[in-house]
Amino acid sequence: MYLPDFDYYAPQNLEEACSLLTHLGSKAKVLSGGTDLMVKMKHGVISCEVLVSLKELNELKEINYHQGKGVVVGARATHNDLVNSIILNEKYLSISEAAHHMASNQIRNIGTVGGNIVNAVPSADLPPILIALGATLTLVGPEGERTIPLEEFFTGPGRSVLAQNEIVTFITIPNQPTTGSNYIKFGLRRSGALAVIGVASAVTMEGNIIKDARIALGAVAPVPMRAKEAEAILIGKEYTDDLLEQAGVAASKECSPISDIRGSVEYRRDMVRVFTKRSLKAAITKGHSGEHLETAHSNNI
Amino acid sequence: MSENTNANKDYAVIGKSVPRIDGREKVTGAAKYTGDLSFPNMLYGKILTSPYAHARIISIDTVEAEKLPGVKAVITHKDVPTLKYGISPARWDENIFCIDKVRFVGDKVAAVACIDEKTCYEAMKLIKVEYEVLPAALDFLTAMDEGQPQVHDEYPNNINTEIHQEFGDVEQAFKDAHYVRTDRFLGQRTYHSPIEPHSAISMWQDGKLTIYSSTQSPHYFQHYIAREFDMKMGDVRVLKTYVGGGFGGKLEPTGLEFAGAVLARITGRPVKMFYDRHEMFAHNRGRHAQYMEITTGVDKDGKILGCHANFKMDGGAYTSLGIASAYYAGALLPLTYEFDNYKFDMFRVYTNLPACGAQRGHGAPQPKYAFECHLDEIAKDLGIDPIEIRIRNARRPNTVTPNEFGVNSCEIKSCLEMARDMSGWVEKKGKLPKGRGIGVATGSFVSGAGYPIYRTNLPHAAAMIKVAEDGTAATLYTGAVDIGQGSDTVLSQMAAEAMGFVYEQMKIVAADTETTPHDFGAYASRQTLMSGAAVKQAGEEIKAQLLDMAAVILQRDPSDLEVKAGVIYSRTDSSVTLSFADAAKEFFVRRGPLVGKGSYAPPKLGGKFKGAAVGTSPAYSFCAQISEVQIDEETGVIDVLDVWDVHDCGMVINPGLLHGQVHGALYMGLGESIWEQVLFDKNGKLVNGNLGEYRLPTALDMPRVHSGLIDSYEPAGPWGVKEVGEGSTNPTMGCFANAIYDAMGVRINSLPLTYEKVWKALKEKRELEQKQNK
Repeated sequence: MYLPDFDYYAPQNLEEACSLLTHLGSKAKVLSGGTDLMVKMKHGVISCEVLVSLKELNELKEINYHQGKGVVVGARATHNDLVNSIILNEKYLSISEAAHHMASNQIRNIGTVGGNIVNAVPSADLPPILIALGATLTLVGPEGERTIPLEEFFTGPGRSVLAQNEIVTFITIPNQPTTGSNYIKFGLRRSGALAVIGVASAVTMEGNIIKDARIALGAVAPVPMRAKEAEAILIGKEYTDDLLEQAGVAASKECSPISDIRGSVEYRRDMVRVFTKRSLKAAITKGHSGEHLETAHSNNI
Repeated sequence: MSENTNANKDYAVIGKSVPRIDGREKVTGAAKYTGDLSFPNMLYGKILTSPYAHARIISIDTVEAEKLPGVKAVITHKDVPTLKYGISPARWDENIFCIDKVRFVGDKVAAVACIDEKTCYEAMKLIKVEYEVLPAALDFLTAMDEGQPQVHDEYPNNINTEIHQEFGDVEQAFKDAHYVRTDRFLGQRTYHSPIEPHSAISMWQDGKLTIYSSTQSPHYFQHYIAREFDMKMGDVRVLKTYVGGGFGGKLEPTGLEFAGAVLARITGRPVKMFYDRHEMFAHNRGRHAQYMEITTGVDKDGKILGCHANFKMDGGAYTSLGIASAYYAGALLPLTYEFDNYKFDMFRVYTNLPACGAQRGHGAPQPKYAFECHLDEIAKDLGIDPIEIRIRNARRPNTVTPNEFGVNSCEIKSCLEMARDMSGWVEKKGKLPKGRGIGVATGSFVSGAGYPIYRTNLPHAAAMIKVAEDGTAATLYTGAVDIGQGSDTVLSQMAAEAMGFVYEQMKIVAADTETTPHDFGAYASRQTLMSGAAVKQAGEEIKAQLLDMAAVILQRDPSDLEVKAGVIYSRTDSSVTLSFADAAKEFFVRRGPLVGKGSYAPPKLGGKFKGAAVGTSPAYSFCAQISEVQIDEETGVIDVLDVWDVHDCGMVINPGLLHGQVHGALYMGLGESIWEQVLFDKNGKLVNGNLGEYRLPTALDMPRVHSGLIDSYEPAGPWGVKEVGEGSTNPTMGCFANAIYDAMGVRINSLPLTYEKVWKALKEKRELEQKQNK
């Protein structure tokens, strides 16, 4: 394993970055945190001659709240920026907690939310909770800016609608009526494990009635997927444990996992059932901050 | 308790948790490991390996690689000795580079030396190797069958080692038994995963070869490298700086030393070689996967009458230390419990996979796991508490095992009782809430092997101490190898104690075949006892010379004088004192260098039968472990909550380091119990040769550890010491497996006990119960 030689650019603004990407074409890759890219380059999975670093684009590191719009997260915010953001801790602790359970502390210090999304790995931890909360992505290219729902971003493992010369700049979590949200990453050890499955949920409760529910699953399909049949079972109903079990069963049926070294199809499906109901229960009973009480491991830290 | 206890002994240096002698260097990052070293004009080398599990080599074309600028040498089997090597003398079966065929994905084919690392990778891409791919034997359970691909033509049916031993009359014991039970278990391949990757830097000067290596044994490296290149051992120097863990995987020289030595000779420049993490997994020499069938007969009280262990192990493509692993698998089973009738059958089978070898506990931990699970099943069938059945069978001191190992000190019964009390076993067993379980297992291990790996009459350990000329410091020269376990610290403590000196002024030069006296190195948990015995003798020689000098200075009879912690004093007149430094300085002025030396060889041990040597030792450690686990019945997730370990390891030189060994062993055992398994695809390619998917536990996965000690004294060891390093892994898998069984109520007979296996077993159990209820 050896990191091949490459040219390195650190454009000063987005315009310059996009024009560089347009000019260089397929021999260039965008470097954000590099925690996936560097490994893939070392293994020869990706070969590129030029890296265009977003390092100088400091506005992409910020996490802000915009009245009337929502929480806007810069794509270069690291996982630990999400963990430590006061805004996210107050509004959607579920996102901070999803980031907290990713990888290892060293990687959380470097890896970015934009990279986690753009890589389009089916087991990525941040897309499910962001999809459940209805997040949108801002993409900037030479032609200007466009905004799309995150849910529509992914087209397959490692593939997305992002053009070669486009850059993901911001993730927006819109203002919303949801009363609770939650993400459970089920990995095979407490840290540094990829998700066997991941379940995110967001609910809008009125008393005991589930007015709305969104469930997003990770690592059980080529792209992060909504469990819409499970959602339909919940919406408009009174919350009971039995109802959550039904939703879990529905989610386990509608997902399409594969068998690999982390888990078989059967195991993944059943874990979707279990963690869908646990995630929903946490979102219903603990608001946006319940994940730490309801994790894959009983005494998780 | 032992009669000769250390509890009230007044030691100045040993028995204390002094800081590690290398602690400051390591925590500040100043410590240099082999891979950190650089020499003027140094080249980098890499080994090209086979992409196929089994293939005939048709041709190797290095022309293009040689043309690449920056490439200084390209070598294949044509450029190196064809003498087969290995570490177990009975089965030398490896070549530096494959000649006719490759036998696993990762087998060595060629090597390059280049001006930098990058050029190495580019050069390797230019070497053209034409292969004829052959069918591969990948499953050790079928590799012995007729018609299977042959890994080595010289070994029909892929049988690498075959063992059949019987002691007493097992058949009669089963006839006499109240109850006979058979269980079958399957262990998995695991890998040591030391933090520091293997690396070696080779260089030549005037016909002498020097190799810096991350090694557990400079001696065996020196011996086998000299043999391979037909050199005098004195012309080969092997040394190490710091080593970041070995666990058995760095006991034998690798391609890094063999190919590196040749590349350095051809180029006339130092050559640095290393394995990256994936290459470490491919080189392997880790734990064998074992299939274990155990039959045991007991009387109505659960007393073991006889036992038959019938095993097979997956050797991989080469022997490595596997013959010893195979013998150890059966040899250590009758240690913790007393019984007279024992039969052991074993086949070590070649497969087209990376070679297996010694990993912490050698061949013993998986069989011990199997036996401890099996014993729990017997206890359950007879309605006997698991601890009670172990106490009833516990070995007593001064006994002999059926395979003729003499056991001196043995406090296994006290270990069990103390672990039972510490863990609250009586209050917990059978009374824990659903999903919670508690389990016990015992273990034992050699304190150094009774015989070296190859036949030689060399003493096992030697040491030399030189006191500084002004008497203010002393340097211990030892061939013992600190690979992270702390032997430099422990041996320096021992030296200071024996000399009557202070630890703080001890210096150490260790593990260098040229400057330090011979020692076989860090394996078989041997150094505290064996290297320690040599160090003690050297220290006592210093002490005697020093007191003789002091007697002249003080004009007293030497027998009236004693020295402790750097102060010489009279036994009869407290006003008479002299500092160690002053006496030592005077010694140098009047008599020359103050030097002490010592060496150690164990007595002749063991029986006369084939394989009798393996498992012999001057002393055996004993321990009991209890763990408590919580299982999520819906998901199979296992939380190990607490572990209690109680050890009988004789006199403890450094309790802090001892507890560190126990923590480390539990960590490794936890990984092997629940997470770790080296996996291959259907073509024999590694699929998880990295630390992302080969899941070692993390700090967050560690349970609370409660480490206890029984006061004991081992007459065969210096100051009564025994081992702790490997024996502490011996019970661990069985202990976790029994706790997990207790929590689940259903037994999974294979390792690792993954969440998915637990989930599946519980699901099947629920389905069966539902069926029965209908």
